Amino acid sequence: MNIQQNTVSENNFEQCIKCTICTVYCPVAAVNPDYPGPKQAGPDGERLRLKKPDFYDSALKYCLNCKRCEVACPSNVRIGDIIQAARIKYGPQRNTSLRNFVLSNTDLVGSLATPLAPIVNTAVALKPVRMVMDKVMAIDHRRIFPKYAHGTFTTWYRKHAAAQQAAYPKQVAYFHGCYVNYNNPQLGKDLLRIMNALGYGVQLLDKEKCCGVALISNGLYKQAKRQAEVNMASIRTAVNGRRLDVITTSSTCTFTLRDEYPHLLQLENEDVRDRIELATRYLYRLIRENGAKLKFREDAAPLRVAYHTPCHMEKMGWEYYSIELLRMIPGVEVTVLDSQCCGIAGTYGFKKENYATSQAIGEPLFRQIEASGADLVATDCETCKWQIEMSTSKPCEHPLHILASRLA
Amino acid sequence: MKFDTVIIGGGLAGLSCGIRLAEAGRRCAIVSQGQSAIHFSSGSFDLLGQLPDGTPVEDPAEGIAALEKCAPEHPYARIGAQACERYAEAARKLLCEAGIPVSGSPRRNHYRITPLGMAKPTWLTIDGYLTTPSPEVLPFRSVCIVNVEGFLDFYPEFIAEAFRRHGVSCRFASVNSPDLENIRRNPSEMRSANIARVFDHEQNLDRLAARIREAARECEAVILPAIIGINRSDAFEVLKAKVDLPLYLLPTLPPSIPGIKAQQALQHRFRALGGEYFLGDSVLSAEVEKNRVKSIRTVNHGDIPFEAEAFVLASGSFFSRGLIATPDRIVEPVFGADTDFVPNRTEWYTEHFFDRHNYEAFGIRTDRSLKLLKEGSVMENLYGIGAGLSGFHPVQEGCGAGVSLISALFVADRILNSLKS
Amino acid sequence: MNNTYDVIIIGGGATGAGIARDCSLRGIKALLLERSDISTGATGRNHGLLHSGARYAVTDHESAQECIRENMILRRIAAHCVEETDGLFITLPEDSLEYQSVFVEACRKAGIRADVIDPEEAIRLEPSVNRTLIGAVRVPDGAIDPFRLTSSNILDAKTHGAEIHTYTEVTELLREQNRIIGVKAYNHHTKEEERYYAQVVINAGGIWGHGIAAKAGITVNMLPAKGALLIFGHRVNHMVLNRCRKPADADILVPGDTISLIGTTSSKVPFDQVDNMVVTPDEVDLLLREGEKLSPQLAQTRILRAYAGVRPLVASDDDPSGRTVSRGIVLLDHATRDGIEGFITITGGKLMTYRLMAEWATDLVCKKLSIDKKCQTAEIPLPGSAESREEVDKKLHGKPVVQRRSTIARHGALAVEIEGNDSYKNSLVCECEEVSIGEIEYAMEHLAVNNLVDLRRRTRVGMGTCQGELCACRAAGLMGRKDPVCARKAKADLANFLNERWKGMAPIAWGDTLRESEYTTWIYEGVCGLSDQEVITEKTAAK
Repeated sequence: MNIQQNTVSENNFEQCIKCTICTVYCPVAAVNPDYPGPKQAGPDGERLRLKKPDFYDSALKYCLNCKRCEVACPSNVRIGDIIQAARIKYGPQRNTSLRNFVLSNTDLVGSLATPLAPIVNTAVALKPVRMVMDKVMAIDHRRIFPKYAHGTFTTWYRKHAAAQQAAYPKQVAYFHGCYVNYNNPQLGKDLLRIMNALGYGVQLLDKEKCCGVALISNGLYKQAKRQAEVNMASIRTAVNGRRLDVITTSSTCTFTLRDEYPHLLQLENEDVRDRIELATRYLYRLIRENGAKLKFREDAAPLRVAYHTPCHMEKMGWEYYSIELLRMIPGVEVTVLDSQCCGIAGTYGFKKENYATSQAIGEPLFRQIEASGADLVATDCETCKWQIEMSTSKPCEHPLHILASRLA
Repeated sequence: MKFDTVIIGGGLAGLSCGIRLAEAGRRCAIVSQGQSAIHFSSGSFDLLGQLPDGTPVEDPAEGIAALEKCAPEHPYARIGAQACERYAEAARKLLCEAGIPVSGSPRRNHYRITPLGMAKPTWLTIDGYLTTPSPEVLPFRSVCIVNVEGFLDFYPEFIAEAFRRHGVSCRFASVNSPDLENIRRNPSEMRSANIARVFDHEQNLDRLAARIREAARECEAVILPAIIGINRSDAFEVLKAKVDLPLYLLPTLPPSIPGIKAQQALQHRFRALGGEYFLGDSVLSAEVEKNRVKSIRTVNHGDIPFEAEAFVLASGSFFSRGLIATPDRIVEPVFGADTDFVPNRTEWYTEHFFDRHNYEAFGIRTDRSLKLLKEGSVMENLYGIGAGLSGFHPVQEGCGAGVSLISALFVADRILNSLKS
Repeated sequence: MNNTYDVIIIGGGATGAGIARDCSLRGIKALLLERSDISTGATGRNHGLLHSGARYAVTDHESAQECIRENMILRRIAAHCVEETDGLFITLPEDSLEYQSVFVEACRKAGIRADVIDPEEAIRLEPSVNRTLIGAVRVPDGAIDPFRLTSSNILDAKTHGAEIHTYTEVTELLREQNRIIGVKAYNHHTKEEERYYAQVVINAGGIWGHGIAAKAGITVNMLPAKGALLIFGHRVNHMVLNRCRKPADADILVPGDTISLIGTTSSKVPFDQVDNMVVTPDEVDLLLREGEKLSPQLAQTRILRAYAGVRPLVASDDDPSGRTVSRGIVLLDHATRDGIEGFITITGGKLMTYRLMAEWATDLVCKKLSIDKKCQTAEIPLPGSAESREEVDKKLHGKPVVQRRSTIARHGALAVEIEGNDSYKNSLVCECEEVSIGEIEYAMEHLAVNNLVDLRRRTRVGMGTCQGELCACRAAGLMGRKDPVCARKAKADLANFLNERWKGMAPIAWGDTLRESEYTTWIYEGVCGLSDQEVITEKTAAK
């Protein structure tokens, strides 16, 4: 008789036994009393919403989807997913504010901005412009915008790298993400350099869209799903057709592709999920498990690096790989900062109504960074980088940038 | 990933075992499925408060010696009384070195005061928490019990009711501040951790101190819920300096600030010694060859397995799902190891909540060196420690923390010895 | 102290409460005596099903008719206790579709709307239903909360002058020759015995009515029938699900507030066991096995607790063997039946017909007292039901939304009595069911709460997933605030409450329930040091 043999519940929230541990680790509830907290917003609220959808509380929008509640939960409750899924199911279905559109359409805005990068960068740095954006779009005027690159990564790749990359005996595919494409093509170039040094050529996907993380958090689910479908099709072609693994340089894009697609957008990816991974993990495997070797410069100055674990990195549990890679670099001394949210959470911290919350969340991290004595901070997430650079005196770089800059 | 030892479970047992091994220079990883039960700590660590038949224990070392006869399957009995006493002392040192300042002796229990004002025998208590050498005597004749307005997880009236039975006069005071009111805007989050964050700020500590000085005039001492010092470890000392009266903390209902602090301190210590702590990951499968575990695979790390010479199962009991109860059996889910239980569910418990229930003593079956068994065969490099072990009633006997710490250090020694030989 | 009344009602179930209300609305001075809390017997231990009557249509035409009439009345007068969910009678491949036509015909005869719908349509309406169904009939079943219903009747009775004494146990019927003139009752709180006098004493003691009648030397031939039920952790189904076949075990799944209930089993139990109902593992298995057939999802849903009630089935007076039982209402005038004046028994029936039972009993009282007043309980809404939930919601917009909706679901229009804009009062004691300090203080002040278990019946404190693990101590803390005596009592009360919760969890304590219990043990026995010595103190004190 198969009666509740293993009490495996489809309703994952029922595993919650009200131990309250998640409430200790929620960065938002600690600073914003308008947010009901992970326990109430997640499993407790879900039970009531199942009774009747009108138990939905619009304050769920304050959840910044960091998933730290899930990492802390001893009962394996997918608290963050429950909250985000409730926003999708019960929250406002149309979100037409110009602000949210601009912030979440990183692809569109990026491709409009990069050709005009010098103008856009100067403009968004100007105080009057920021005041206007604050007033008109509710994007906080204190927020410093990331600079757009003069030309996208993909344009550069097609013009200058494609042919040469194809010549390598081994190949991987690269999901570069919006940040590398529009803001920091250098990181993409760094990755190519490292992979090439190990004998790998790097290919682009047939077609790449923004992973959609910003669309999801801004309630633009349909568009997110459309973009996700494009990405999954490209990834499947790469994995199944071209026999390539897909690597990435952004922890949040990776997490979105692997976990948010099936959990929030109901887009199954089981067949290819294991083939999508962060480049740092891919490199770790090549070097540590398969014996590949990188040659480093001997003459580089000593560097003290403090590693910050982005929330979605913490959720994936992969910070180990980035840290181990940094530790392999001669002359680099690594300290690991306490794993805590920096407060930016993608587009969340750009919004006027969240600015104070965002900075309050990050405050303990900023203090630790200032006190760390590090020369620079390393992290795998671009939005954490913006937040750290804006809120502390330290520069912040991707681990692969540090690694590439010290290759022989 | 290659380590010397991989420990499954990052609670009190797993962390102390990891710390001990890391101190000895071993490369360890801990895989923990979420945060641990340390988060519900009372601020004290129990060694042995009662024998299985209910006899109160004053001298735990002596009590453990008695267990060898009356409860030979008890983990203490299997480790041996003398070794237990040695490990108890080592455990105290380990906690102190990790930054958890505890006092107490394995030769004599003292009493901790609970959030309901009751006295419970215990072994080690974190400095600052109220203890007494005897359950009948409190260290003051009059006390002011302070609470935060609207904090529902601490009960001054209950404490006073118990204290008054011992002739102590009690007075109440409550504190409030704009920052506290700000938390209370949220109907559910006026919890210890959020309150403690308020008191990490100097001006709020000042305000609290002023309120205490005013309310506690004519009192010999002050009692405060454990809501001080979550991110700032000197907060309690600073407060004490501002209040010119003996100040004692009492634990609250979860989440427990001393628990959170202890968890963080142990984790820091483990990491500082070079240990790798993988939080929020679950073990999926193990590769076993000829009664030896070669590697385990986890949800997060998929195709990159954790390989090690020795493995330690410190995954706890039912709460942390180290043990899973189906309607008719008790399963150890990671290795499918042998477990001790009675098959008939009606014998798992009685209908009275406060009874000693059989299920509490169910757990993983181990040999004398705490190696796990599978289908009757000893697993050569797989050890069990902590709450998941069978043969003891952690709450009734008041020995949960002690079993975790002592079994952890015992197994760490076994592993170190086996590597030597 | 004036201890003379027109009528004394023994029993604080729905029927007793209904009689108290009916009497007081007709100007009859009533005293209700209940040995424990209100709705502790069969009233609080059933499905909470607002029967359409369809279940009885084939086998008991009269009951079916009573049900549908009362169903329509309760939707009006007890709107805040009712959820208009509708129900489905489903035919599974193992059942016969022929029964469906017999069933529909019988429903129509009894005046119950019964629409045969396509299985596809049934799945659309109720996605949790067993998808292999081959037939479905939609009927006006619903859910009714028996605790709210009883409490609301009591509240209205008190408003109209009735006196309600809970924890007052009738120990003796006072008799003068062939007339019952009053009762002797023991007050469990004051530990004193009191005498109360009245012209009519009504026995509304449910299954315990057997023993009450026996105190007058009268035999009412009752058959205690145990019915076990399981509560699931959340609302699985939104419509009541029944099997379209001859009524059998475990064939009704009812959505009730935040949870779903499957029941019941049916077994005879001896009278000496009616205070000690324990659900057996076999009963749990049976309920799950049959429940899964209604809604396969139950196999993956956490069970919160198991409990059992005792139905007061009455054997017909003309059948001494006791085999012919009636589920209909039984009103016994002991003057005509047994030659004892001033004493009547109202029994049989069911939660659905509590109001009608009260009406019958009160009519008989009126006849005996020569009072010519008509029953109004079918027209006047109960307190809390005068306004729609939506109207009340508008008045309370200062409260956080989730809490507001929960409070209104529990108290209807009376939710406005609970403080709305005070952050302290809005603090949650029970986080699963969103019960605030304000609501608890309201219940303690207005709803005759003596202990945590009573509080649970009024507010759902401790009825959620954690079964009191998080909130019991908080609620006890609030109750223990007044003085040292209160604090001592509240501690004992806390221990008793945990014991009471555990009783319902033990039969299903595996999986997450066992985890929850282990955690509760750590917190209460470990961290708090609570022990059964506190329970014993209270027990000894009660004696």
